[in-house]
Amino acid sequence: MKVDKTLVASVALHVVVIGWGLVSFSSKVFESVPEDTLPVDIISADQLAKIAAGMKSGKKENPKPLVEKVAEAKPVEDAVGKITEKAPVVTDTTPPPQPKPVEKPVEKKPDPPKPVAESKPKEEPKPIEKKPDPPTIDPIAEALKKEEKKPPKPQVQATTPPPPQPQKPKERTFDQSKIAALLDKRDPARQATTGETLNSNAALGLSKGKAADNSATWGALFQSQVERCWKKPYGGIESQNPEAAFSIRLKRDGTLEGMPIPEGTPATPYLRVYQESALRAIIECQPYNLPAAYFDEWKYFAPVFTERKI
Amino acid sequence: MTNKDQSREMPFRLSRRQLVSGMASLGALAGGPIRHAFAQAPKRIIVPEGDFAPLPIAIPNFVAGTPSDGEVGVGVTQVITNNLKRSGLFAPIDQAAYIEKVVNIDAPPQFQNWKTINAQALVTGRMTRQPDGRLKAEFRLWDVNTAQQLAGQQYSTSPEYWRRIAHIVSDQIYERLTSEKGYFDSRVVFVDETGTKERRVKRLALMDQDGANVRYLTRGSDLVLTPRFSPSTQEITYMEFGQGDPRVYLLNIETGQREIVGNFPGMSFSPRFSPDGQRVIMSLQQGGNSNLFVMDLRSKSTMRLTDTPAIDTSPSYAPDGARLCFESDRGGKPQIYVMPAAGGPAQRISFGEGSYSTPVWSPRGDYIAFTKQGSGQFSIGIMKPDGSGERILTSGFHNEGPTFAPNGRVLMFFRDPGGNAGPSLFTVDISGRNEQRVPTPGFASDPAWSPLLS
Repeated sequence: MKVDKTLVASVALHVVVIGWGLVSFSSKVFESVPEDTLPVDIISADQLAKIAAGMKSGKKENPKPLVEKVAEAKPVEDAVGKITEKAPVVTDTTPPPQPKPVEKPVEKKPDPPKPVAESKPKEEPKPIEKKPDPPTIDPIAEALKKEEKKPPKPQVQATTPPPPQPQKPKERTFDQSKIAALLDKRDPARQATTGETLNSNAALGLSKGKAADNSATWGALFQSQVERCWKKPYGGIESQNPEAAFSIRLKRDGTLEGMPIPEGTPATPYLRVYQESALRAIIECQPYNLPAAYFDEWKYFAPVFTERKI
Repeated sequence: MTNKDQSREMPFRLSRRQLVSGMASLGALAGGPIRHAFAQAPKRIIVPEGDFAPLPIAIPNFVAGTPSDGEVGVGVTQVITNNLKRSGLFAPIDQAAYIEKVVNIDAPPQFQNWKTINAQALVTGRMTRQPDGRLKAEFRLWDVNTAQQLAGQQYSTSPEYWRRIAHIVSDQIYERLTSEKGYFDSRVVFVDETGTKERRVKRLALMDQDGANVRYLTRGSDLVLTPRFSPSTQEITYMEFGQGDPRVYLLNIETGQREIVGNFPGMSFSPRFSPDGQRVIMSLQQGGNSNLFVMDLRSKSTMRLTDTPAIDTSPSYAPDGARLCFESDRGGKPQIYVMPAAGGPAQRISFGEGSYSTPVWSPRGDYIAFTKQGSGQFSIGIMKPDGSGERILTSGFHNEGPTFAPNGRVLMFFRDPGGNAGPSLFTVDISGRNEQRVPTPGFASDPAWSPLLS
């Protein structure tokens, strides 16, 4: 029997490829380890600010000021021996210099250009004012119309260079290429706060402010757990805004250390029933599964059961 | 199943809004004056707005104090279980789940066994036949989580009234756990309807509020309508079409004594008692109009309350007897009005779309229930006596005739599905959450709830 070599080769190749595939792609069972859910909550910037805000009345852990560098011992100065006369206070708004420039312009018209033209030629603005004057007198002659036209021309030619010059000093020249000259070339620096002992903490309060209050995290966990057991009594539709607060102590394993202590005695039968229902819920739902890291925070707290819209 | 497992399976009930508001309140509280005043006060964690949930309660069969009373013990337990369940405020746990069998009710139960089945309250009881033939019932209500007895009572009665014992015990449990007065030990009078739609026989019937012990008060030869219970005595007043004009009658349930209330020309209808049971207020027909009159049952003196060229009817007193509400079409469509009981100007309180009729003032005084008709539907609703806070509890093809339970927490009404079927009775609580059909032997309409029997 003649065997087709290509067929054999094809079959062999297929077997090899599929066989390799079977081995290498062996399906391992995906084991998903169930993970504890982490309650995530979105809070607004305002709320974050509130949580992270410090408290003025908080405990001051660190009353020393910030010190970054140990300063050299300052020589004790003899304050008594160094008495100096009090120098007259010179302010920017000293009146004498200002009146002078003000008075001058009142007296003479040509003067105002002076201060402006100090950098530029002084005499040029004057000819402009003086030269136009004669032409105003000249037009009286009837036949001199042509002549008038002629003299102005040379005048214009002569005066054309000056006019732009007086205009320039009025508008501030802005040279883009010279911006760099205006910049402060010094490297930004600040002086180290010095003191006798180094202290890296700038704040007066605790190094952890209210930001370390994790009650939003474990509080939400507690809420969700205790609510499973809370069979809120039906108070009808006219709500009395009930509220029942307890103080409870929890052990590390999340069980109650003792009976929850209710705050206050309920004023009405409904409030009594409401408080009882909350008490039942707290007891029934233990042990509470709260993050062990925050044990110090949740070992003693006060759950408040309420319907009040806050 | 451990708690941890449960926590994973339980849906997270808090909505984001609640959480945020809770957290906002946390921040507010933490930064607020409370914090400063009590530096050592524990961190306050707000648990806001939990959902209302029926209370899981275990009611094992009452123990038989004497061997022959096992059956009545089971019966009492069933009645209590049914009452509490129908109220919608309790979730009785199936007896099959019970781990512990209560043998001796004098010893505290093993609370751990009841905790395991998630019961928060436990009722134990015993029925004992006394030497004089009377039946003694004892019960204790326990708080499973705090292991404390919340209530304990004993009653004795003739054996045939064992159901009443069960209702009274139910009321005790209800009252202790909800802080509301109970309503189980009460009865309902209604119009029993039998026969085809064309030849309907209507009889007055009386039953326990749970539908048991039905008794017929009239024979059905004459048409009866609008029976009403006295709020303070076991008497009813109703309208009957006898020979001639319909009349208002008074009937003492215990003695069977019957009398006509007044003898007026024309039709008298829609009667109702005053809160003290000493007077009956009703409508008297005068030509095409009708006005309200009140009659003192002792002196038989009659006083006119309204005088309008309109149909004023369905009066109902406030529980303090100072005011009354009624239905009038003086403004066009029928609407609800409130006026002083001694007479005076009436003030319209219903302003919704459609027309309002059959107002009934709650025994608690906080609401007026009504039938509202509009857009092809009949609804049962409640509103405050000033007309605010209107709330529709149920609506459909035909719902009518609300009547309040003695605690003002539950309404009974009748519903006619239309077609060939007849009406039947339903209860709904004033939140509208819990609607239940009331079993009756036949078709039933026009229910009226009695005051508490005890």
